[in-house]
Amino acid sequence: MNPLRVAVAVARKDLLSEWRTRELVPALAQFVILALLIGNFGFQVDSRNANVIAPGILWMALVFAGLVAFGRTFAAEREQSSLEAMLMTPASPLAIFAGKAAAAAAMLVLCEAVLLPALALFFGSPISIELITAVLLATVGMSALGVLFAAIVARVRARELLLPLLILPLWIPIVIAGAQAVQSAFGLPGSYDQAIGLLVDFDILFVVLTSLAARFVLDE
Amino acid sequence: MSLVVANGIAHRFGNELALAGIDLVLDTGEHMAVLGDNGAGKTTLLRVLATALKPTAGELRIAGLDAFKEKRRLRHYIGYVAHAPGLYPALTAAENLEFFCDLQDMSHSHAIEALDLVGLSAVARRRADQLSRGMQQRLAIARAILHQPRLLVLDEPDASLGSDAADLLATVMRDRTVVLATHDHALANRLCPRTLMLKHGRSHGTPTRLSVVK
Repeated sequence: MNPLRVAVAVARKDLLSEWRTRELVPALAQFVILALLIGNFGFQVDSRNANVIAPGILWMALVFAGLVAFGRTFAAEREQSSLEAMLMTPASPLAIFAGKAAAAAAMLVLCEAVLLPALALFFGSPISIELITAVLLATVGMSALGVLFAAIVARVRARELLLPLLILPLWIPIVIAGAQAVQSAFGLPGSYDQAIGLLVDFDILFVVLTSLAARFVLDE
Repeated sequence: MSLVVANGIAHRFGNELALAGIDLVLDTGEHMAVLGDNGAGKTTLLRVLATALKPTAGELRIAGLDAFKEKRRLRHYIGYVAHAPGLYPALTAAENLEFFCDLQDMSHSHAIEALDLVGLSAVARRRADQLSRGMQQRLAIARAILHQPRLLVLDEPDASLGSDAADLLATVMRDRTVVLATHDHALANRLCPRTLMLKHGRSHGTPTRLSVVK
């Protein structure tokens, strides 16, 4: 089996299904805009405090959008009984996992493409390469962990409740490093390079760990 | 030559005993129907034979290999039609099969051949959720035979298939070893020289065709 072909096919299948049904991304985009709107009015944002508040709102919106996006990755497969058919092929479970994680990450990136301009609109926060890099790097680690735990909880009844309980504590290091990087990108004190270095380290750690675990999670 | 050898296959769901020590030998090219009431253990047995479920106890060898230690290798040999079609509703019939060609590193031309074999060529570009239940079942059968498996495990494949179910199944079963679960005794009698009657997870002999029909 060619693992790359399998991963590309799985990611393509998930993205094509989303493109045709438009179930997830429009809802997530609406959610992130509403989250920013609530944050904007809830905090009485003005030009002095906007850059202090904006990173917190950004990560809150991203984390909750991620929970919804990753929760659907395996839930839909279970509901339509298609996961077993996919796992009954000789395809490597790791390649299947990689394809699902890539598709989920791509959907989150689409949300970020709405989130960052909306953040600039509501909070006047500049969109910079530094900001985009921090958010994209965080997306890698969040996707790897998110899809792994979505696979684990997909077979339990209370999965919507269980997924945030399991995944939020593990996302905290990514959010801390990401928030630090975004604050620096907005001109607040802190080392941007150090935060980005941490994000890269977390990405490598979580991608390796989830790759090792994925085989067992999907195989059983 | 025996393709499937099962010894003392038993499975529990919690305290519920679903299979209680099934012994089975299936020769290459042999067709066997699994009959029994709802809850008799037919689906559990078929899931075990398809290597989709590891039994609580017992040993299963397929093509001489340990079915659970070598299950990924064995999946080249096994085609499985589960109770639910398990299709991707937003993909077309052809795309559903092409996706499984990609997973098995096969050319997409196999998808066209399989669609043709199950009589779905005319609706190849129709989305799976716009197909009738019978057409979805045909598509699930096409997916199971895509990679030319030696062992075909069919869980109530006749459900919703319509009047030509027996002809279609006879076509896809040709030159393969088949285990077929069904409630339709007449269909089992027509397609399978051997039957296995299950009751409360236990095998009740391997009656002849006539005794099953009676």
